[in-house]
Amino acid sequence: MNGDPAESRARLYLWWSRLAAMTAKELIQFGRDTLLLIAIAYLFIFDIYMAGSVSMQLNHAVVVVHDADHSAASRELVYRFRPPYFKLGGEVLDNREGQRLLDQGQALVVLDIPPDFEHDIRKGKPVDVQVQVDASNTVLGFLAASYSAQIIGQYGFDQALSRLGVTERSIQNVPMIQSQHRVWYNPNQRDAWFMPIAELLTVITIMAIMLPAAAAVREKERGTIEQLLVSPLTPIQILLPKVIAMTLVILLGTAVSLFFVLYGMFDVPMKGSLVLFFAVTTLYTFTTAGLGLYIATLSRNLAQAALLAILVLMPMIFLSGAWTPPEAMPAGMRTAMFLSPLYYFIEMGYGILLKGAGLDVLWDSLQGLALLGMVIFGFGVWRFKRQFG
Amino acid sequence: MGQAAMVGKDAPVVRVQDFVKRYRKQMAVDGASLSIDRGEIYGLIGPDGAGKSSLMKAIAGVLSFDGGTLHIFGEKIDSEAAAERVKGRLGFMPQGLGLNLYPELSVEENIDFFAELRDVPPAELAQRKHKLLAMTRLDNFRDRPMKQLSGGMKQKLGLVCTLIHEPELIILDEPTTGVDPVSRRDFWMILTQLLRERGVTALVSTAYMDEAARFHRLSLMFDGRVLIEGEPDTILREVPGALVELVAEPQVEALLRLKTRFPQAEAVGPKLRVFVPGATPQLARAQVEAQLEGLMVSEMQAVAPELEDAFIALLQQRQPAGQDDARQTQVWLDGDPPKGDGIAIAARELSRDFDHFRAVDRVSFEVRQGEIFGLLGANGAGKTTAIKMLTGILPPTGGAGTVAGADMRRAGLAIKGRIGYVSQAFSLYQDMTVQENLRLFARIYGVPGSRLAERIGRVVALAGLSGVTAQLVSKLPMGIRQRLALACALVHGPRVLFLDEPTSGVDPIGRRRFWEILVHLARIEQVAILITTHYMSEAEHCDHLALMHAGRIIADDTPAALKAALQQEAGQVLDIGAEPVLPALEALEQAGFSDAALFGERIHLLARDITAAEARIRTLFAERGIQLRDIAPRTPTLEDVFVHRILQQEQQEASA
Amino acid sequence: MKIRRIVALAYKEWREILRDRLFFALAFVVPASLMLIFGYGLTLDVEHIPFAVVDHDKSAMSRDYLHRYIDSRYFDYKGDVASEREIEPLLADSRIRLAIVIPPRFQENLMSGRAVEVQTLIDGTFPFRTSSSKGYVVAINAAFNGELLGSYISRRLGVSAETAKAMAQPVGVQLRYLYNQEVKSVWSIAAVLMMFVLMITPPFLTALGVVREKENVSIYNIYASTVTRGEFLIGKLAPYVAISVINFLILWLMATQLFGAPFKGDPLFFLLASVIYVTCTTGIGLLVSLFVRTQVAAMMLTVIVTIVPSVLYSGLLVPIASMDAAGQFEAHLFPAMYYTDIVLGSFLKGVGLEQLWGKVLALLIYAVGLWTASFLMFHKRPKS
Repeated sequence: MNGDPAESRARLYLWWSRLAAMTAKELIQFGRDTLLLIAIAYLFIFDIYMAGSVSMQLNHAVVVVHDADHSAASRELVYRFRPPYFKLGGEVLDNREGQRLLDQGQALVVLDIPPDFEHDIRKGKPVDVQVQVDASNTVLGFLAASYSAQIIGQYGFDQALSRLGVTERSIQNVPMIQSQHRVWYNPNQRDAWFMPIAELLTVITIMAIMLPAAAAVREKERGTIEQLLVSPLTPIQILLPKVIAMTLVILLGTAVSLFFVLYGMFDVPMKGSLVLFFAVTTLYTFTTAGLGLYIATLSRNLAQAALLAILVLMPMIFLSGAWTPPEAMPAGMRTAMFLSPLYYFIEMGYGILLKGAGLDVLWDSLQGLALLGMVIFGFGVWRFKRQFG
Repeated sequence: MGQAAMVGKDAPVVRVQDFVKRYRKQMAVDGASLSIDRGEIYGLIGPDGAGKSSLMKAIAGVLSFDGGTLHIFGEKIDSEAAAERVKGRLGFMPQGLGLNLYPELSVEENIDFFAELRDVPPAELAQRKHKLLAMTRLDNFRDRPMKQLSGGMKQKLGLVCTLIHEPELIILDEPTTGVDPVSRRDFWMILTQLLRERGVTALVSTAYMDEAARFHRLSLMFDGRVLIEGEPDTILREVPGALVELVAEPQVEALLRLKTRFPQAEAVGPKLRVFVPGATPQLARAQVEAQLEGLMVSEMQAVAPELEDAFIALLQQRQPAGQDDARQTQVWLDGDPPKGDGIAIAARELSRDFDHFRAVDRVSFEVRQGEIFGLLGANGAGKTTAIKMLTGILPPTGGAGTVAGADMRRAGLAIKGRIGYVSQAFSLYQDMTVQENLRLFARIYGVPGSRLAERIGRVVALAGLSGVTAQLVSKLPMGIRQRLALACALVHGPRVLFLDEPTSGVDPIGRRRFWEILVHLARIEQVAILITTHYMSEAEHCDHLALMHAGRIIADDTPAALKAALQQEAGQVLDIGAEPVLPALEALEQAGFSDAALFGERIHLLARDITAAEARIRTLFAERGIQLRDIAPRTPTLEDVFVHRILQQEQQEASA
Repeated sequence: MKIRRIVALAYKEWREILRDRLFFALAFVVPASLMLIFGYGLTLDVEHIPFAVVDHDKSAMSRDYLHRYIDSRYFDYKGDVASEREIEPLLADSRIRLAIVIPPRFQENLMSGRAVEVQTLIDGTFPFRTSSSKGYVVAINAAFNGELLGSYISRRLGVSAETAKAMAQPVGVQLRYLYNQEVKSVWSIAAVLMMFVLMITPPFLTALGVVREKENVSIYNIYASTVTRGEFLIGKLAPYVAISVINFLILWLMATQLFGAPFKGDPLFFLLASVIYVTCTTGIGLLVSLFVRTQVAAMMLTVIVTIVPSVLYSGLLVPIASMDAAGQFEAHLFPAMYYTDIVLGSFLKGVGLEQLWGKVLALLIYAVGLWTASFLMFHKRPKS
């Protein structure tokens, strides 16, 4: 191999020239696959947009009231259940009616104000308000309960203060904790800043696996792989262009999604360095493509590849923290999360886009991704070479 | 019931009038008319894309059509409901070997499913199944999953499944494509027998011209039209002309001269074949002789033209072939072609095992520069595996080989750079243009950027692609695609060319042009060509043939020598016309002519001593009251050679 | 209608599915693993929120206050840091999700009857977790304030601690979580997942199965035979409905046994309603398969057609009641919503036909509509 420099230069040139020719080929083919283009547009634009419309906030939850007091005090309390969290769904005359509405899912909360409510408060006699919450959807049930308790607690507190003669101005002279919440990164807790990012990173993952797998399996399916195998291309020269071309496609899709959907429609702040984000995305798609190559070695046609991809993607996505952050996972799952490259990617994605974190903060995630990615890519290449070498 | 009965015996089973079928804007069948009589085997012959399948599907009632009328059993098929009324009396086997069967189900489960779908009562099913399985020799494989059957067995199972409800009309779409000659012969045998016993009518399509003799009547289809309809002999009569065969030296020069006057001139191995349209044999000879004045001409004889010649003549009347005679450009720029005596490909004791099964078993052969070497065999005989080993895709289990001067075990990549390869299935990128494909392969093979345009220009000229370089490959017809595949394989100027069934599905003209290029490459450029094919007529083009069966080479010689050896060993082929033909066949088999086989209306058998055999047959037929219409010796074809060798091999294996 | 032909078709299909390993995995392994992964992975219980503390006071009172967090199962104490500046990298790196900053002179101010400001910094990345965290903080503060106010009143008005406490918190809340008393998210998730999985997998499977037959040429066996359209559709799809019913039973078992979700309703009613539901979703797959030619296209179209309604318009994440008018209208167009109500009703609420007949009827109409449309669209003599 140690020929004269001119010869090795020529060999190097030939190597790159083959790579470039194959990459161009992949891009040409990609551009002519209408079905694939539609799928990509759907995933990178519509799907992300849809994810942004999902809300897990309490939003106009229907409250029905059983007011046995009908006093100014009870009306004031009821009045406090208002949008955006709640919406009054009217009054019921008895508890059974309230129960029925809950059973049928037409109300989330039934507020039960006892008789003599106002009277008892005046008298300084403790009085209990009953709140029944439909907890069949736990997120909403919990939020509804929590907000109701807050509203009623605050109402009681206000009543107590007013009885003490404490006014707005003199409130500083009551010993109490005034809670100052500062929500960072997403001050208004907009779901549209959360879900679309998770979805985008998931879509990138799906594409990073599916596109190279599809490109490779299509060659098998149509028999074109044979023509490549009898040519002087090495397996690396066959697989690398697929990964390069598909990474380019994904980066383009990501850019469109990022600028037009995330930024354009949902005003996601993009605090950190976009260069860093795209660099990380490149590393991620490139290495995750290893899984796609592996799938390609296992399947005979595109349909099989897609099925296998589903089997591979499911655990990867759900061990990623896209939906549930690691600290909320059971201990065993938390360990398994370190095996999902998407976990690191999500960590860095949120870090860069929402938190404005830089390399210094994300260094260990990057290391994890690079290491895991290398292993995955190496495995994919090894399998590919073994089948087509 | 009533209507069908009223039609009577002599009305055609199928009547097609001005049939038109379009797929979106694409015209598939453009005004086809034909009629099929009860009890006949009717053939549709034509290349891929001629419209055969569309027509057959419409007749089977599984495809609606856009124009014309279609009557089946006298019923006018103009709606789904009308089609439903006749479906109980039809059997349909779609194209693609075993593709309509269920791979996960066993042989018996497949048959049972078809029977239940067709409401065959259990008792009758048992009886028919027994008979059909015995007849097709599938009874030992009842429990084997269909996906593990060989091509020939799949085809027979498909036939059994189509026949299980005893339809009156069966429609078989290319049942013999990709099947080895022995299975093909079996298939025709079974079909003929069943049809005769039950008076069933069959509509069969094929891409093999040489199967035309099996049909009572046929239509030649091309480009959505029926070119001509009738009995094979009638068709030949309607395209008058004579075929002259000769040997001339130098062949290249002779061919060039002939081509200027007769478009239907071609080199077949050492011989030249010229079809002279409209001429009597004497006139044709005279014309050819005049054209070749001054050259060494020998062995000239005028023979009867074949259906393929007639077909091509018909096609050329319609659309004269485009003239792009830039074909004579050299592919090689650098220096002289290599000397013709070098050995380009050598295989020595090559073997390859897959799990427990030996796909290629100690195969040895040599191919010289400038030689066209044919590897023949059925699907699954090991041809493709052998080629894959030589081209370095598949490592051999044992044995050695050299290709283009490099050891295939050590210098895999070096070999790959020096050879060209055209694979079995079309394997270029259909979603790219001709130019894009050529560029891609030129760059893969390391053609330097400065010479890219020039190299591509040469192969485009050689393969006659200049008009289509900007078109998407998916829009091109099969014949042009295969020439593109060849162009891509040649773009880097290889000296060794591997072609794995390059002409499957290509129309006769396309095939002829393809071979013209191959002959040019071998004769003028001294390229070594290793080609596999299952068209027996193509095998005649090869300088040297190797027959593969079950992974082994069972015969290896020039075509002429192979035929001579057959005559030495088993005698000559006797071509017999007898009435009634089935009892005649039975009688012959009982009398010890074990290789007697049915060819349409005729019987072929091998006999060492023709006069003695003829005498025996005459007495035999006289005893049984069978009328002997004619009997004559015929030179054996390569198919005869092939079938004989395989049967011989199977007998040896059975006795061993 | 000939039963023998239907049985032959169904039995053939069944054997093909069982013998094709990949397809078998898709039929039985995927639904169960979806349930498993979602059930364990989609934990919406907000617990163990990692937090850090900046305590500028370091007094007995500040520690007392902080211990209300440290001792709570909702929070996971990660330690003290010296200053606010150290918090940011911790939040940015997701080591903590929340930080509490106690100002200097916390104890002194409170003792001397002055209000203090305690800052809570919350990571807003996961909005629903943020809201929940905020809720916890408010609750802890409210309790703490109640005590402070009580002792303040007691001191100022000289009443007993008991009276003072009553005066400080005049209105109490009796919170009753109905249907899921412990607010275990896995209970409701497991139940709703049945809706989700049975929405996604039967159409997927069915579309693939039918298109596979079209992609091979074996569909011509059907076209060319005397089997009627109805016989074919019933025979071909019966195995898929059967598989989906089996899957339904497996999922039901998983929900109750593995995830411990209570089943309070009528099993027979639930079974029947679910059979109607899977018949309906199988019908979606059938309809999809009639529009496409290749398995890949079938997969894409089913995903698009099923995931959207089952995620967005099912009540899985967004309660229908809190959608805007257009959203509510769309939700009523998809079958997922009705079945979500049936599942939750049967599992957690313990209601039956009496309350849910309308939803069952909607599913039934849906199923009949889909199958009729498919029947009308399927032809044995197609155009191409």
